[in-house]
Amino acid sequence: MLILILQTTGLTALIAGLLSLILVIAERYLADYGECKIDINGKRKEVVKGGSSLLATLNEKKIYLASACGGRGSCGFCKCLVLDGGGPLLPTEKPFLTTDEISQNIRLACQVKIKQDIKIQIPEAIFNIRKYKAVVEKIVDFTYDIKELTFRLLEPATIDFKAGQYVQLHTRSYEKIKNPVSRAYSISSNPSQSNLLQLIIRRVPEGICTTWVHDYLKEGEEIEFTGPFGDFYIRETEADMLFIAGGSGKAPIKSMLEWLAENKSQRRMVYFFGARAVQDLYLTEYFHDFEKKLADFNYVPVLSQPLENDKWEGRTGYITQYLTEFVRDCANTEAYLCGSPAMINAMVKGLKECGIKDEKIYYDSF
Amino acid sequence: MKQTPDEKSIQQKMQPGNLTLKGFLGNDQRHYHEIIAEDLKKLSQLGITKEQVADKLQELTEMAYENFEGLAEPEPGISVEYISVRGKVLSPFSGQKPAHKGVIHYHDSIRNLSFCWTPLNIKMIRDYGFFEGKGSDNRLDPEIIYLAFFKD
Repeated sequence: MLILILQTTGLTALIAGLLSLILVIAERYLADYGECKIDINGKRKEVVKGGSSLLATLNEKKIYLASACGGRGSCGFCKCLVLDGGGPLLPTEKPFLTTDEISQNIRLACQVKIKQDIKIQIPEAIFNIRKYKAVVEKIVDFTYDIKELTFRLLEPATIDFKAGQYVQLHTRSYEKIKNPVSRAYSISSNPSQSNLLQLIIRRVPEGICTTWVHDYLKEGEEIEFTGPFGDFYIRETEADMLFIAGGSGKAPIKSMLEWLAENKSQRRMVYFFGARAVQDLYLTEYFHDFEKKLADFNYVPVLSQPLENDKWEGRTGYITQYLTEFVRDCANTEAYLCGSPAMINAMVKGLKECGIKDEKIYYDSF
Repeated sequence: MKQTPDEKSIQQKMQPGNLTLKGFLGNDQRHYHEIIAEDLKKLSQLGITKEQVADKLQELTEMAYENFEGLAEPEPGISVEYISVRGKVLSPFSGQKPAHKGVIHYHDSIRNLSFCWTPLNIKMIRDYGFFEGKGSDNRLDPEIIYLAFFKD
């Protein structure tokens, strides 16, 4: 009896599996959705061949939504407002969307298949996002685990971005890494140098992209990246500016300060850089030089765990204990943060205790 | 072993070089189903559940997270440190949201126990009872977890 049940169950599973396979093959090779129209923001219309995902189809039209998983439905970054024609919400999308997002018809572009005309809405800034080819011009070791990469752009030959924004760097295959990945890194160069792009990348244990950058990528190689992305940029006000960064979080702040110096900003600024020990500091003289280039700027490195032979005479402890020295008017102070999630969490708490409001604290949450 | 397409995809994503450099299986040759089944059986023998383990790891993770650049000391002789880095890591299990990258180091100087875990480990343990394969850097052995957190 047991054998009969097992045989029947096994047979049922086999038939179900075969049917699924047939459906997948039929969907891929036989389903013909013909030409479909994508209406973007009610302004731009694209005629495309139906059958592919919205994300892949937009990519073909050189419209790039953020994605870290290559459209496999596992990162949840490619969110997009679908006004009409997106079909039903799929179970694969639900874990990545909040109830509010679902009620607003936000979808994952990689999971929405184009089978009919579709209306979508995306931020205008996305039209500025391009896929770039570049050559690695220079690789510099800043510390034992941080490198600076300089890329010379090939195609397109220039990039238009705001200081503070980021790009997604695409890896190539290496050793066991068969599927290339994309990872987000803040741009560290000045937007006015539009024919080159710099990144500051810290090695992450187990990191597929950072291992590639640190151990495999060489000067002279061609690479690809997509961008620019992000809402982390300088607000054009007269408010005092507080910059706080740790580790490779120096990248967007470098870009911002270079831009501010070039544009002769008169704003009052201080930059706290947090590190553990002297071995984690880099570009120290470079940032002290901004004290001469900018009207009112101070660079303040703070070490949390200096080593005995560091002979460190600067500030020690945590950045939060020094914030009140700088903040003279919390209603007129903006804070720009870049670092690990734990650092951001600690700094946001410290800034709020100083009286700086949430809406004046800016950071990228990746 | 018969596998659904989803199970096949999960097993594939757990291999080295797919979602992380070293993968989730270590040098364990077993299918992830077998790893889960054996670890859940061990938990049951020890009288604890995967949810209890996940709750304890979550509690320690939050404590360490709030002690940025320092050690949290939940009890005398025990220290927990959160090494936080930017970025998120994808889960091999379909439908799980990406987790923050980073690693939490636990050290018990009294029992002489040291191990580590990631925010993703907590999710995989809570939802699936997956403690990673033997030999994996972030493998959490149920017996060691029991000794560290639950044995009187």
